Amino acid sequence: MSRLEIVLELTTAEAFHLSGLVRQFLELLDDSASVTADDPAVARLAPDAYPDDPEASREFRTVTRGDLLARRRDDAQRLLAQLAALVDLDADPAEPTAGDEAAVTLDPDDLQAWLRTLAALRLVIATRLGIHDEDDHDPSDPRYDIYEWLGYRLDGLVHAASGS
Amino acid sequence: MGVSGPAPAIDEAPDLVRERVGPWQTVVWNDPVNLMSYVVHVFREYFGYSRERATTLMLAVHNDGHAVVAEGAREQMELHAQAMHDYGLWATIRRAPA
Repeated sequence: MSRLEIVLELTTAEAFHLSGLVRQFLELLDDSASVTADDPAVARLAPDAYPDDPEASREFRTVTRGDLLARRRDDAQRLLAQLAALVDLDADPAEPTAGDEAAVTLDPDDLQAWLRTLAALRLVIATRLGIHDEDDHDPSDPRYDIYEWLGYRLDGLVHAASGS
Repeated sequence: MGVSGPAPAIDEAPDLVRERVGPWQTVVWNDPVNLMSYVVHVFREYFGYSRERATTLMLAVHNDGHAVVAEGAREQMELHAQAMHDYGLWATIRRAPA
């Protein structure tokens, strides 16, 4: 992969809301370190590697899960830091700055973190929504709008990353 | 991907040899969430596949429900599965069918 940089343009409202999602994601990851590790969204992020062999699955999980969630956390914190540079995360999103444009420059490591985190946020939201089919949709549930917006941003970054 | 190995016996059918490059497999399963474009990106970036090959593999996952993305030693398959999990893909490890 080339070492090009990608400029991602967001509105400040998008940056604000995304940072809220990333913060919630970080809380989920922190909770998952404790005994409440049965959250299905976390289970989706760290799937059973050996579905037909519980013993091997447990061993794999013991060895890999902590590191996997730590990498998730590092990625999410990288996004949060970049978003914090764009917008005041503690401000009121209804303030008139909401229409302003903001740009983030992503180096390849940033891009990796953004792609993985946007994909992970979609997995978590899909688990919460109970999405089992690509056509599942409920126009009355605003979480679908967030889910689809994340997909739109992810797809844009993928195409920018692969030069298409 | 670990396709190098002992040379096949000359009386073995080549397609069978290709099916059995290793005793273990990493399998990626279809899910309703990951975008097709993202899955192609992952296969290109991680395995270094061409766009064509990555797309073929993604379509196999999408249409058949799953696809074998790597074969070889168990430890190697575990590394691949971890990498797939890092990307959010649903990957499992299994013994290659006899």
